[in-house]
Amino acid sequence: MACVLVVDDEPDIGDVIRRVLERAGFETTVTHSAAAALAAIEVRTPDVIITDIIMPKTNGVDLIKKVRAEHPRVRVIAISGGGSFGPLTYKPDAISTHAFLAAARDAGADDVLTKPFDLSELLAAIRRQLPN
Amino acid sequence: MERVVNSLRVRLISVVLIILAALAPLLYLGVSAIVEAGYAERFVNSVRAYSRLAADELETLDPSDFDRRARALLDSIELSGQAVFAEISDGSRKLHSTIGSPVPTQPMEDDFNFGDHGDQVYYISHTVKRPERTVVLQLGFDETPTLEQIRAAKRQLLIAMAVFAVTSLALATWLSAVIARPMVRLQEAAKRVAGGDVHAPLQMQSSIREIHELNHHLERMRQELVGTNEQLSLEIRERKASDQKRLALERRLLHRERIAAIGTLAGGVAHEFNNIMTPILLYAQLALESTPPDSELSKDLSRVVAAAHRARNLVTRILTFSREMDSPQVGAFSAEVPVAEALALLRAIVPTNIEIVFNAPQQEIRVQGDPSLVQQIVMNLGTNAYQAMRDSGGKLGVSLRLAEPAEGIQQEGGYCVLEVTDSGHGIEPALLAHIFEPFFTTREVGEGTGLGLSVVHGIVESMGGEIVAESQPTRGTTFKVYLPLAEQRVEAVAGV
Repeated sequence: MACVLVVDDEPDIGDVIRRVLERAGFETTVTHSAAAALAAIEVRTPDVIITDIIMPKTNGVDLIKKVRAEHPRVRVIAISGGGSFGPLTYKPDAISTHAFLAAARDAGADDVLTKPFDLSELLAAIRRQLPN
Repeated sequence: MERVVNSLRVRLISVVLIILAALAPLLYLGVSAIVEAGYAERFVNSVRAYSRLAADELETLDPSDFDRRARALLDSIELSGQAVFAEISDGSRKLHSTIGSPVPTQPMEDDFNFGDHGDQVYYISHTVKRPERTVVLQLGFDETPTLEQIRAAKRQLLIAMAVFAVTSLALATWLSAVIARPMVRLQEAAKRVAGGDVHAPLQMQSSIREIHELNHHLERMRQELVGTNEQLSLEIRERKASDQKRLALERRLLHRERIAAIGTLAGGVAHEFNNIMTPILLYAQLALESTPPDSELSKDLSRVVAAAHRARNLVTRILTFSREMDSPQVGAFSAEVPVAEALALLRAIVPTNIEIVFNAPQQEIRVQGDPSLVQQIVMNLGTNAYQAMRDSGGKLGVSLRLAEPAEGIQQEGGYCVLEVTDSGHGIEPALLAHIFEPFFTTREVGEGTGLGLSVVHGIVESMGGEIVAESQPTRGTTFKVYLPLAEQRVEAVAGV
C-alpha cells in the first residue's frame, strides 16, 4: 500500500486530505510543520509527500530541497492557495503564490496543485506520481 | 516723441541763434566802425589837401590889391562847393567872401577829427606867411554828405547781416531736420519694439557715422533681445507642458497606486480564502461520496460543491486582477485576431437589438503578450457595454488603430488604441473614478461581481498599457485601451 505524508499548517486541510486519501486506500500521515515532516520521514519514508508552501518557520520550498537532497526517490506534490503577499501587483519580482509554486518546481517538486482543488484532482495528482 | 524731436531741432536752431545773437552786434559794430573811419579819413584827407592848395594860393597872392584878390579867392573856394565857410584874418580884421555865406558870430575852433563839435562842419585853419604880414586862412567843410554816405553804408551792412542771419537759420533748420530724421525713425522703431513688435529691423539709414553706428549697435541689441525673448517664451512653454505632463502623471500614479493597493488586498484575501475553501470543497465532496445519490442530502451537498466551485472561479478572477496568471504566453501577435475572436463570441450571446460594429485597422498592429488576455479585455468590455444597453438596444462599436502621438498616454514609444464604445445609459461622473476598483458594481445583486473592469485594468497594466474611460450619462461610454506596440517593447528590452 502506497504511503503518503501530508504537510500543512492548517489542521482542517491536513485532516480532510487524510480522510480523502485513507478512503482511497492510501496509508496517510499528517504533520503540521516542516520539522515534524522531516521527523516523520525518518520514521518511515513515504512514497509521496504533499506539502503546503506557505508555512511558519520552515516553508515548503526549503522542505522540498531537504527531501530532494536526502530522499531523491520520494515524489513531492506542492500545494498552495492562490493569492499574493505584500505589494506585488505591478512588480515583476513580486512574491506571489505563482512565484512560490514556480520556486517549488525549481526546488524539485514533481507536481503543483492550486488550492482549492477537487477531490478527484487530488487523487489524480497522487496516482500520476505512483507507478501503476 | 514729439517733445524729443522738437527739443533736438530747437536745440540745434537755438545754438545757431545764440551764435548769431552774440556775433552779429559785434560784427556790425566792428564793420561799421571800420567803414565810418574809412569815410572820415577820406573826407579829412580830401579837405586837408584842398585847404593846403587854398593856403598855397593865398601865400602866392599878388600883394597889390590884396583884399580884392583875397575876396576873389574866397569866392572861388565857396563857389567850387568844396567849403561852406571861408575866412581870412590877420588879427585886426577878417575878410569874407562877397557871395555872402552865413558868417558865424563866434570864431570857429578847428576840428581835429571828423564830426568834432557836432556842428556838421569841419573847420580847418592854415597860417599863411606872406611877405608883408602873416594871415590865417580858416575853411569850413560840410560833413553832411559824408555822414549820409556812412549811414547808407551802415544800412547796407544791416541788410547784409539780416540776409546772413536768415540764411543761417534756414540752414540750421534744414540741418537739424536732417540730423533729427534718423533719430525720429529710431524712436519710431524703439516705440514699435516697446509695443511688442520686436521682429521688425530698425533700418535707420544715415550717412552720419555716429548715428550709423548707433543704429548698428541698437539693431544688435534688438536681435539679442528677440533671441532672448524667444528663448524665454520657449522655456515658459516647455515648463508649462512639463508641468501639465507631471500633473497628469501624478494623477495616473495616484490612480494606479490606489488600484494596486486594492489589488494587493484582494490578492491577500484570495490566499486566505483559498485555504478556507479547500476543506469546504473536499469535505463536501467526501460527504457526497458517502451519501446515497438522489437523496435530499446528496442534492444539498452538490449545491455546496457547486457554490465552492463558483467561489473558486471568483477568486481566479480576482487573481487575474492582481496578475496571478499561470504561465502566460509571451510573444508578439496581431492584436486584430483575439479582438475578432472575442467579438465572434460576443455576437453569440448579445441579443439582436444590439448591433456590433468592428472597425479593423488599416495595417497589421502587433502587440506583445498573451492573446487570450486581449480576448478577455474585449469580452469584459463588450459584456459591460452590452449590459449598459440591454434594455434600450443600441450600437456596440469596437475599433483598433494606431494611437496619435499627442493622444492620451504620454510615454515614449508607439501605442495602439482599442476602443469599445456603447450607446447605453453611461456612467455618472462621480462613479467614473471608481469603475476600475474590484467589487465596484452598479448592478443588482447576482447580476455581476464588479470584477470585470478591474480584471481589464489588471490585464492592461500587466501589458504595460493604460485604460481610460469617457462617459456621458444617457449618451454612452467609451473605453480606450492603449497597448504598447510589439516592436517598441522588443527595443525597450534590448536596450536594457
